[in-house]
Amino acid sequence: MTVNTSLVNTVDLVLARKKIRREKRRLFFSTLGQNKAAVVGGIIILFYISLTFLAPILAPYDPYAINLQDKLQFPSWTHWMGTDDKGRDILSRILYGSRLSLGVGFSSVFFGAFFGIILGLVAGYYGKWVDTIISRSLDVMLAFPGILLALAIISALGPSLINVTIAVGVFSIPLFARIVRGSTMEIKQLEYIDAIRTLGANDFTIIFRHIFPNILSPIIVQGSLRLATAILSAAGLSFLGLGAQPPSPEWGAMLSSGRDFLFSAPYMAIFPGLMISVLVLGFNLFGDGLRDALDPRMKK
Amino acid sequence: MFLFIIKRLLQIVPVILGVTLVVFLIMQMVPGDSAVILAGEGASKETVEQLRVDLGLNKPMHEQYISYISNVVQGDLGNSLKNNQPVLDEILIRLPITMELAFFSILITVVLGLIAGIISAVRPYSYSDIGVMVVALLGISLPSFWLGILLMYVFSIKLQWLPVAGWDSTAHIILPAITLGAGGAAIVARMTRSSMLEVVGQDYIRTAKAKGLAEHVIIYKHALRNALIPVITVVGLQFGSLLGGTVLVESVFAINGLGRMIVDAIRTRDIPMVQGGVLVASLVFVFVNLLVDTMYRVFNKRIDLN
Amino acid sequence: MMNEIVLEVKNLKTHFISNKGTAKAVDGIDFVLRKGETLGIVGESGCGKSMTSLSILRLIPSPPGKFVDGEVLLNGKDLVKMSNEELRKIRGNQISMIFQEPMTSLNPVIPVGEQIAEALRLHQGLSRKQAWDKSVEMIRLVGIPSPEKRAKQEPFQLSGGMRQRIMIAMALACTPEVLIADEPTTALDVTIQAQILEIMKDLQRKIGMGIIFITHDLGVVAEMCDQVGVMYAGQIVEHRDAKDIFNNPLHPYTQGLIGSLPKLYEDQEELQIIEGTVPSPYDYPEGCRFAERCPFSTDICVQKEPSLIQYGDNAKVRCWKYTNEWQDSLAKEVLKS
Ligand SMILES: Nc1ncnc2c1ncn2[C@@H]1O[C@H](COP(=O)(O)OP(=O)(O)OP(=O)(O)O)[C@@H](O)[C@H]1O
Ligand code: SF4
Ligand SMILES: [Mg+2]
Repeated sequence: MTVNTSLVNTVDLVLARKKIRREKRRLFFSTLGQNKAAVVGGIIILFYISLTFLAPILAPYDPYAINLQDKLQFPSWTHWMGTDDKGRDILSRILYGSRLSLGVGFSSVFFGAFFGIILGLVAGYYGKWVDTIISRSLDVMLAFPGILLALAIISALGPSLINVTIAVGVFSIPLFARIVRGSTMEIKQLEYIDAIRTLGANDFTIIFRHIFPNILSPIIVQGSLRLATAILSAAGLSFLGLGAQPPSPEWGAMLSSGRDFLFSAPYMAIFPGLMISVLVLGFNLFGDGLRDALDPRMKK
Repeated sequence: MFLFIIKRLLQIVPVILGVTLVVFLIMQMVPGDSAVILAGEGASKETVEQLRVDLGLNKPMHEQYISYISNVVQGDLGNSLKNNQPVLDEILIRLPITMELAFFSILITVVLGLIAGIISAVRPYSYSDIGVMVVALLGISLPSFWLGILLMYVFSIKLQWLPVAGWDSTAHIILPAITLGAGGAAIVARMTRSSMLEVVGQDYIRTAKAKGLAEHVIIYKHALRNALIPVITVVGLQFGSLLGGTVLVESVFAINGLGRMIVDAIRTRDIPMVQGGVLVASLVFVFVNLLVDTMYRVFNKRIDLN
Repeated sequence: MMNEIVLEVKNLKTHFISNKGTAKAVDGIDFVLRKGETLGIVGESGCGKSMTSLSILRLIPSPPGKFVDGEVLLNGKDLVKMSNEELRKIRGNQISMIFQEPMTSLNPVIPVGEQIAEALRLHQGLSRKQAWDKSVEMIRLVGIPSPEKRAKQEPFQLSGGMRQRIMIAMALACTPEVLIADEPTTALDVTIQAQILEIMKDLQRKIGMGIIFITHDLGVVAEMCDQVGVMYAGQIVEHRDAKDIFNNPLHPYTQGLIGSLPKLYEDQEELQIIEGTVPSPYDYPEGCRFAERCPFSTDICVQKEPSLIQYGDNAKVRCWKYTNEWQDSLAKEVLKS
């Protein structure tokens, strides 16, 4: 009899929790929809994503086709963004380059989020010495200023776009892990987690079925803001010649080669930079909007 | 206070050990035989073996790590693969340049960021606020290397007001410092604004109003001092991205600082140089953080009480 | 002339507007304060005492707060119509205020002496040195030992009781004509409380200031006040001479309060002694706001809102019981049954 009542109670608790979650989600989307910054950011992001798909259709020229007769042409009707030092059409290169920038950004953030979330969940859920070891390791990773950790990794693995993705991803791990760890510790203390445990759920089920869904929102906010930084860092590393190598139309690399022609062809540097900036702006706007929608305290 | 500093110093020991471990592992992660790499291209088999014994590369990893640390403690960061000169010598030439750049950049971050943040917070949701916040949003979105190039194009190439690149005179500092400080300034501005808006809702601000104080006194004397406390932490964190950012900005403006040294070393696969540069930059950052933490604690003690 | 009116509040209304609706926190407050007199304001938590006092100095945060209606006359001049400039000369000078929250009402990063001195410099034109000396003097006056040392300290170095006394010193420094004290002694222990009350009375005698004394503690009311306003749900329900209210409370709510006087000492924080709950400020009933809890409630009470009527020479009460309509209503009920 007692077992039964506690079972009923637990089921109620779990259902109530789910309901709260659903209600929160509904509220979240409605506030997000009202947040102008988030909407603008979202539109920018969708625009860039559609470029990656439409590049072959939209691009007027082959992004790699060298045509030395037409080199360093000022933007015109035939070449909207001009041509580079090898006579390649900058617009076409930029369109194809969107795949690289977004690709590196998303993959590195997924990489960082994947390991960061697991580490954070484990540290937050088990606590004690597990937490101590993980937290100390994260502190060490955060002790490297800015992109220096990424640089160190690239110096070992060698310059390439893949290695940039890994390096930037590694550098995102501690940020995800910290947030997940904090939220996990909060959720872990809720009554209903105890209730589930008494029903015999194992740690794995508790962590992934019951804790993880409850901490998704801070992860998403962090993800959006991290995407902005990841894209900046990756472009920066390619700009330094440590990522994508010529003739790749990666925007950072294009910007880097444009720098040598700043006197004669400033547009070579201007357009790739503009593309990076607007994309990063999109993720920042979206991330800010998400955060405000999730954190009602910030609303006015 | 003294105890606090001692405690924090003890706390950073494991962090520093961890940093040296990561830096040490860079070498181990390099694919291939370390001895071959360190001996340089075209070295004979004998030289490689000699080097292996000399540097203890034939010993187990943990022994290598211990000897690495003891070398580091004695100021031996190894020799450059390029010219066989001690890495530390090169760093000691480069570091002051980077520190100078970092100093002026953080100055811009703080001064510009605070002014912008205050302008915003004084009249929230006014046009000046919206304007400042839009600029700040751009500030965190523009890649520093692009901003640097744009500034260089406008002020050095078109207007010819400032030198294009290099590090010889005060004029050389201006553009790199703005480039490097701008992103931080944007973040400080946003933080100052939100911190000010929070402080303005506090009870003691109501007390100040009830005393009949004028608005500017309330803002600058009563609100700002409190609002700045959380900003200190942000500035500290910004210093990290700023140090990392020197890598890019020094490359844009052809400044021979530590950041450019690291990048060049990666290109030439001069691993000991990379290790030394990354290690020193990280140590600087760890100590700056300690300083910022201590400052924050000094200021925050008053507030923590309730 | 001790009977001169310094402060008169007429039909003061302050509402809070949010997406939850409109909270009528202060909903038609009237009272007069004479020179040298102490007016006590009592009432349950949340009835709008603090919001009334903040409204007088226009210190309500807006949004969400909104001044809706009313006049606040200081020596006949309406504060509501004044410019911010003019009002600033009155704040902290002619009218000062002691806040309910002693822990958070002092600026954490400014030495307390300076927090007192700045008002002196502003309103009395004292030099830095003079203002500081006077500030130290005020700190001594409120009974804080070694005031020279304390003046240089920041709030975190002071205990809660000391901070509240600093607040009191600050409020009294410029010898205001009106002092609004919002539960000034709640945070203090009994001996210090008595000491503080003595200081306030003393200063009152010297400079003839009027005091609005907000409290939960009816004992303190008996000791300190000349007049008492009893507040309920954003309104004054009874306004009496202090000496009368304990012997002969008129309003059923007041009767409830007084009737349970001994109990009050067990739990001074809350005046939860009458059965039932206060109606929500977002949704007041049409009739008497106390009707749901009132043992005397009849039809008319539920239908129509009573107004604050004069009763005898120096009493006002907001209750149908003291009107002719009441008799009619009773008669009807008797007839029905
Ligand atoms: N920011 C606000 N938003 C909405 N309503 C508010 C706000 N501040 C105050 N109120 C309303 O004002 C009412 C009166 O509050 P007030 O602080 O004046 O009560 P009080 O009588 O001083 O209580 P206490 O004895 O606890 O100090 C509250 O019931 C609340 O509904
Ligand atoms: S009006 Fe009626 S309900 Fe209200 S207090 Fe008087 S008797 Fe009670
Ligand atoms: Mg109150």
